[in-house]
Amino acid sequence: MVREIGGSNFVQEVINSETATVVDFWAPWCGPCRMLGPVIDEVAEEVGEKANFFKINVDENQAIAQKYRISSIPCVMVFKDGEVVETMVGFRPKQDIQTILSRHL
Amino acid sequence: MSDRYDIAVIGSGPAGLEAAINAKIRNKNIIIFGNKDFSAKLVKAPKINNYLGFYNVTGKELKKHFEEHIKKMEIEITEERIDAIYAMGDYFALMVNQKTYEAKSIILATGMQYGKPIKGEEEFLGKGVGYCATCDAPLYKGKIVTIIGYNKEAEEEANYVSELASTLYYIPMYKGEYKLNENITVINDNPVEIVGDDRVNKLVMKNQTIETDGVFVLKDSISPSQLVPGLEMENEHIKVDRKMQTNIKNCYAAGDCTGKPYQYIKAAGEGQVAVLNAVENLS
Ligand SMILES: Cc1cc2nc3c(=O)[nH]c(=O)nc-3n(C[C@H](O)[C@H](O)[C@H](O)COP(=O)(O)OP(=O)(O)OC[C@H]3O[C@@H](n4cnc5c(N)ncnc54)[C@H](O)[C@@H]3O)c2cc1C
Repeated sequence: MVREIGGSNFVQEVINSETATVVDFWAPWCGPCRMLGPVIDEVAEEVGEKANFFKINVDENQAIAQKYRISSIPCVMVFKDGEVVETMVGFRPKQDIQTILSRHL
Repeated sequence: MSDRYDIAVIGSGPAGLEAAINAKIRNKNIIIFGNKDFSAKLVKAPKINNYLGFYNVTGKELKKHFEEHIKKMEIEITEERIDAIYAMGDYFALMVNQKTYEAKSIILATGMQYGKPIKGEEEFLGKGVGYCATCDAPLYKGKIVTIIGYNKEAEEEANYVSELASTLYYIPMYKGEYKLNENITVINDNPVEIVGDDRVNKLVMKNQTIETDGVFVLKDSISPSQLVPGLEMENEHIKVDRKMQTNIKNCYAAGDCTGKPYQYIKAAGEGQVAVLNAVENLS
């Protein structure tokens, strides 16, 4: 399941997480983000417990978007032990996302 | 939601047309995108002597034959330019402005006409370089943005972004009158290289260099890997196997976009191979 998070619980849910975490930076005005959403949902479904999935609205969470220097969305980041280990910019087919994730799970 | 086509063909040159007629013969529900002229490369050819069955024809004449052929088979070209294609898993979503078409499989027959990228353009893609200014504009609120515009439509995007950016430079790559907001600075110069560290910070042009946080390159036609995110390329061409299958399932490619030689009958042959394999995979 992909859960929506924001600035207040980012550190707890993402940075301090013991499990690998996938964060989808998106915004309602972004077409490719809307297409990527259901793809990430499917990936999350298949990955199950091995990773946590979140999405962050960059409009409402500009500080985080700036901290991670998001300059193009959709942008999916994979976090492990509080560090960014993977950045995927733009829409990606499901298979690509799965391949990239499998390196970290 | 729109109907889902069996096959969508993108491009109306010989590769796309040949794909379309074969799909029709196999009774598939198809849609083909392109233009009335079919292909600028077709109508421009002065003399063609290597298309079997048509000795010494002009491009315009060959075009007429193609036209009669597809008319008899009741194929109509949808005159729209596809902006992006997303592989959703069991179908493809094809975007035209705000509209979406859906197809179970796609044939890319877009030819070769996208210009060479600027040095640094590919390296900094997603790190300050983008192709859709209106999409990413809100991320550049209060920052310096440069737009390299290859057509009039880019001016509209520039005007929109200028409402958010602190400074907007517009570099027109064409001649004409520019309908731009007053706060936009027009620079008439030739981009040479986009530079930065882990993000874009400068644009080097022939006569000057400017500091910038983002560079948007707005062209007429985009390369296949931007058209279909995730598509694997081999240098400037789409990577295909003998079945004209790309790295994405149910996505095929045919014609000049797959590689040399650039020839009509090679393009048509590939279009046929691609679509027959697409048909086989549908059943
Ligand atoms: C002057 C000239 C003379 C030539 N003479 C010969 C010759 O004598 N013999 C020979 O064999 N070959 C010749 N060629 C080469 C030949 O034109 C090409 O090999 C052939 O046209 C390739 O066909 P294609 O279907 O792959 O692509 P194209 O013919 O380039 O067609 C692609 C079409 O797709 C459209 N398209 C692209 N992107 C999109 C999109 N996103 N959405 C919708 N539509 C899109 C384009 O606008 C274009 O109309 C000549 C070329 C030129 C320029």
